Amino acid sequence: MKKNSIYLALLCTQLSFGHAKKEPTNRFSFQKMALELEEDCDACGCSASGGSMGFSSMLNSNFVGLRYFNQSYSSRDGIFANSPWVNENFNTIQIWSKIPITEKLQISTLIPYQFHNRERSTGTENIQGLGDITVMGMYSVFQTHKDSTVFVHKLQLGGGIKIPTGKFDEANNSGSVNKSFQVGTGSWDYLLATEYVIKKSQLGVSTMLNYTLKTKNKKQYQFGNQFNYGSTLFYLFDLPTIKIVPQAGIAGEIYKSNSQYGEQLPETAGDILFSKFGLEIGITNFSLGINTMLPINQHLSNSKIEANYRWSINLNYSL
Amino acid sequence: MKNALHKAIAILAVSALVISCSKDDNEVITGTGNLGIEFDNAFGTNDLILNTQANTTSNNEVLKISNIKYIISNIVLTKEDGTIFTYPKSESYFIIDEADPTSVVAELENVPAGNYTKVKFGIGVDQAQWELGATGQGDLATRAQAAGMLWSWSAGYKFVVFEGTFTSATVTDSTPFMVHTGQTATDYNYTEVTLDLPTKAMVRTTISPEIHVVSDVSKIIDGTYKIKLSDNNMGGMGAMIMGGTNLPLITANLNGMFTVAHVHND
Repeated sequence: MKKNSIYLALLCTQLSFGHAKKEPTNRFSFQKMALELEEDCDACGCSASGGSMGFSSMLNSNFVGLRYFNQSYSSRDGIFANSPWVNENFNTIQIWSKIPITEKLQISTLIPYQFHNRERSTGTENIQGLGDITVMGMYSVFQTHKDSTVFVHKLQLGGGIKIPTGKFDEANNSGSVNKSFQVGTGSWDYLLATEYVIKKSQLGVSTMLNYTLKTKNKKQYQFGNQFNYGSTLFYLFDLPTIKIVPQAGIAGEIYKSNSQYGEQLPETAGDILFSKFGLEIGITNFSLGINTMLPINQHLSNSKIEANYRWSINLNYSL
Repeated sequence: MKNALHKAIAILAVSALVISCSKDDNEVITGTGNLGIEFDNAFGTNDLILNTQANTTSNNEVLKISNIKYIISNIVLTKEDGTIFTYPKSESYFIIDEADPTSVVAELENVPAGNYTKVKFGIGVDQAQWELGATGQGDLATRAQAAGMLWSWSAGYKFVVFEGTFTSATVTDSTPFMVHTGQTATDYNYTEVTLDLPTKAMVRTTISPEIHVVSDVSKIIDGTYKIKLSDNNMGGMGAMIMGGTNLPLITANLNGMFTVAHVHND
């Protein structure tokens, strides 16, 4: 937590830095690539997958894409020191789009398909199906306008809802293993998001904070509210036929306790901090992105869940 | 275009309203339900595995446990408002046997719906109930006979049976041990334990909570009182603790054997 606060302080400093009114983004493709920069899904299993994907800000165009991401966890199956660790794989294929409604307002949609598996002593468990769909609006409250200064900024605020289109199966979160082995949370959740991007010529930093308010589902289970934050440094190599954007940053997630019938469940809160690295390649209207996230430190479910890594690949088409 | 924004905000507002209106926090709790108490045997922080697992005590004796059984009785539940529910005594006897997975959950029926925060139970058969004769314990006598939980040489139940083999610095060959508790000429050796629940057990007609109790069997000889099996290995024939001054100490140790890991409300 201490570490997290330090990073937060850094992010805040970043937000307050720079006032110059400036040139809008030079290149369309540059903007598009920045869209891919923020990536977080829920730790503990993408039960609410996609809800915490950074809804990046810089795209002004119609856009649709396909993304695959994989999350690897190890969870202790039991309450004892000699209880076995279970490997869990969370896989998501997502159709995502970002459509401008006005110059300042964009609507994002995430439609995930989940297929998860884990190896227990009793055999392999598989679940799959449509996940929870998220719809979100982002509004530009501040954007540098045409002029010529050194820094270009954009600040967006937004909100959205996550609809319980994915199936929540109570059986998957009884017992002592990872409670988030689900394709959906079964709940209506609400998202609040903010994104800030600052650039100087080809170099930029994108920072996001978002908060997900999760509600009780029909089975009276409630996943804990979730706070996500992240900051990514990126650089554009703008070559004649190809654009390449390498990027590196950090991303963190903080979870409150889950509850059931209004009772807080012990050992369900946690926090995790990731490093992340990625590369975007753009040719004509297409862009290809790959990203990986590796934990720096974590305390999930009283250390009974460990995130190993996440990685993703996506292909986007600008309409 | 502005309309779209207004619509988005309206949708958000309406859905927030729908959610907040659908809460029913003022439910009336009536009827009865079921409640399970699972006794999950452990040795220290490890899950107990019979026969193969080598378990080391603080006295550096290494135990392989082949048999652990105990009688749970007199279950009493306390609600959050302090109300006490005593489960009918004659139906309240459970023989927990690690070797029989079907025996490790004490299933209680017809428990008044409510939010329970405490559980109390006895280990063994209390003296008053014993003096009622076998009928005071329901069908326990029959079940105990089948489980080998009746003394063969004197009247009375075995409250705890803890058996296996051990080695130590002084006893290098694998040597049997048997710890049996129950009444002796001098001590009755029945004891009770009260445990607070970390979260409420919410008994409803539709919810059957399960209280997951961890029973750390190492505490039987390695609790408040440390009892060395090596010191009880009479003539090298094995450590047989079935009476004498050690039994009250072992009985006192049982108070520290049980903890509640968690409560499921499923």
